[in-house]
Amino acid sequence: MNDFITYLVSGVAIGCAFALIGSGFVVVHRVTRVVNFTQGTLAVFGGLIASTLLKGALPHGIAEIVAVLSAGVIGLIFGFIATGKRGTPPLISLLITLGLSTLSAAFFILFWGQNPISPPGIGGATDVLGARIETQRLLVVVVTVIAFVVLSLFFDRSYVGKGLTAAASNPRAARLVGINVRWMGFLSFGIAGVLGGLAGVLIAPTNAVSFASDLPLALGGFAAAVFGGLVSVWRTLLGGIVLGVVGQLVAGYLSGSYQTEVALLMMLAIMIVRYKSLSAEEAK
Amino acid sequence: MTRRIPALVVCVAAVIALVVPLFLPDLSFYIQMILAAVIVTGLSLFMGYAGQASLGHGAFVAVGALTVAVMTVRLGLPPLLALICAPILAAVFAYIVGLPLLRLRGHYLAFGTLALLLIVQAVIATVPFFGGGLGIFGVPPLGVGDAVISGQLPYVYLSLAVLALALLISRNVIRSRFGRGVRALAGSESAAASSGVPVLRTKLAVFALSAAFAGLAGGIMAFFTPYVSSESFPVATSIAYIIMAVIGGLGSLWGGVIGAVLVSLLVQVLNAVSNQPGLPATTGPVLQYGAYALVLILALLFIPKGIVPTIAQAMRRRRDRRADAAAPTDVAVEPWASVQG
Repeated sequence: MNDFITYLVSGVAIGCAFALIGSGFVVVHRVTRVVNFTQGTLAVFGGLIASTLLKGALPHGIAEIVAVLSAGVIGLIFGFIATGKRGTPPLISLLITLGLSTLSAAFFILFWGQNPISPPGIGGATDVLGARIETQRLLVVVVTVIAFVVLSLFFDRSYVGKGLTAAASNPRAARLVGINVRWMGFLSFGIAGVLGGLAGVLIAPTNAVSFASDLPLALGGFAAAVFGGLVSVWRTLLGGIVLGVVGQLVAGYLSGSYQTEVALLMMLAIMIVRYKSLSAEEAK
Repeated sequence: MTRRIPALVVCVAAVIALVVPLFLPDLSFYIQMILAAVIVTGLSLFMGYAGQASLGHGAFVAVGALTVAVMTVRLGLPPLLALICAPILAAVFAYIVGLPLLRLRGHYLAFGTLALLLIVQAVIATVPFFGGGLGIFGVPPLGVGDAVISGQLPYVYLSLAVLALALLISRNVIRSRFGRGVRALAGSESAAASSGVPVLRTKLAVFALSAAFAGLAGGIMAFFTPYVSSESFPVATSIAYIIMAVIGGLGSLWGGVIGAVLVSLLVQVLNAVSNQPGLPATTGPVLQYGAYALVLILALLFIPKGIVPTIAQAMRRRRDRRADAAAPTDVAVEPWASVQG
């Protein structure tokens, strides 16, 4: 039973990180039609920058916030490179983001080396229903829920958030009412950077990150987004949690090596079964 | 949409391709480049006309290589039979997985094909019959009966012959009635469907054909290496195939070849530079990842259509201009003539 709770909570924590990364995919794709392959890379940026800042004796809290904001700026720059040139088709932008994530891998190796790095999180463990759980994992869950509340408030209530939604659902009409659709696209990359950076900062203390972590994180994030139907942020959160928990249970009770395959098969199955409704919802 | 390249250029390129291997000390790089060109020719056919990205084309290379390894090492069947089966099994596999996968589009298909590659890798790594954690060693050399290929050179010429075959098939497919249907798909799927093109079946056929090319290349690779494991088909290589296809020019017959040659040469030069003695240990990966990515990003930004179509366009424009200068009155009388030509 204790094992079960441990798997459950760590699954929820990983799932939260996937959900943050996945909503980054959703935001960028809805506004720009581009699949942003740097989404996992941005999480790695978050984790690694946080580790350096913490070593540079910035206190907890400030270091993490600076790391998340830096990831946001990097996301913005990536967006500018991938979609900044007018008339770049989405397929080319996708390939440019692939190139950017390779370029970032070189950057990671240059500054942080090839070994996985795990910055210090908040230490200690907490008892949850009799199982000892690292407090960091609980923090991941709490911060993610707050982030999702802020995100949905931003999209529903703020002027810029509504502008993003307008640019996503009907670019031409959005342009007619004076929304700069191009800048909304860059902004969406910035938001994706913040979300990815947040995921990286939160997950790195318990799951070390390196230059090779970008693909697993990106795949997990995309799978979470697919589970969530790629539209609603809350369903993405739910999708991420399901994916994380199933992955941890499979790893715990069967074998760690099946974890990814199970996630991939579930993602494929959902994509294929629900493709019609997925694309219909996206067209809205 | 086939860009006409003067026959002279093709002949010169063919002669160079045939002569160069005679002077190279080690041919592994050359063979890999030619086989990449075969794979990218198929991928370019699929991506250029179906307008979709397949991020996991390495899965079909893997099926071809595995077919050869399993049939020769595990089942003891004749090598030639295995090589013939490699493209067939790859095409059948692509057809079966394509039935559900090709209903997806855009980013769903991109991630779906990537997932397919990772699943194929995982299956190879976990099923002992397919190599398991160790891989399959000792694929016998290709040959018929007692006549067996030895050395690297015959594999080079076999690969070149396969490349020529792939180009010939692609050219004929593009020009056929079926090919016109495929090209219609690239413009608009609904328009193609309403003019009677069976959308899914056409896409499946092109997908299977491109998988057959990849499978055949994978089969030759297995004979040449002679070793197949789950790590022989990394994701980065599949991504490189796409980048080769786009840099060369999607949907142009020669684009795949040009892209494969240029990107392979770039990688080879970067390898050589980063293996120079006296450089710190991190320089290798940094240079390989960094310089490679930088060149690709710049190429994608500034020649998004790819090299072959861009050059073809420039040449056509120059010819048009010369024609205009020679006969300005014609153009003045019939302004649409130059548009049609």
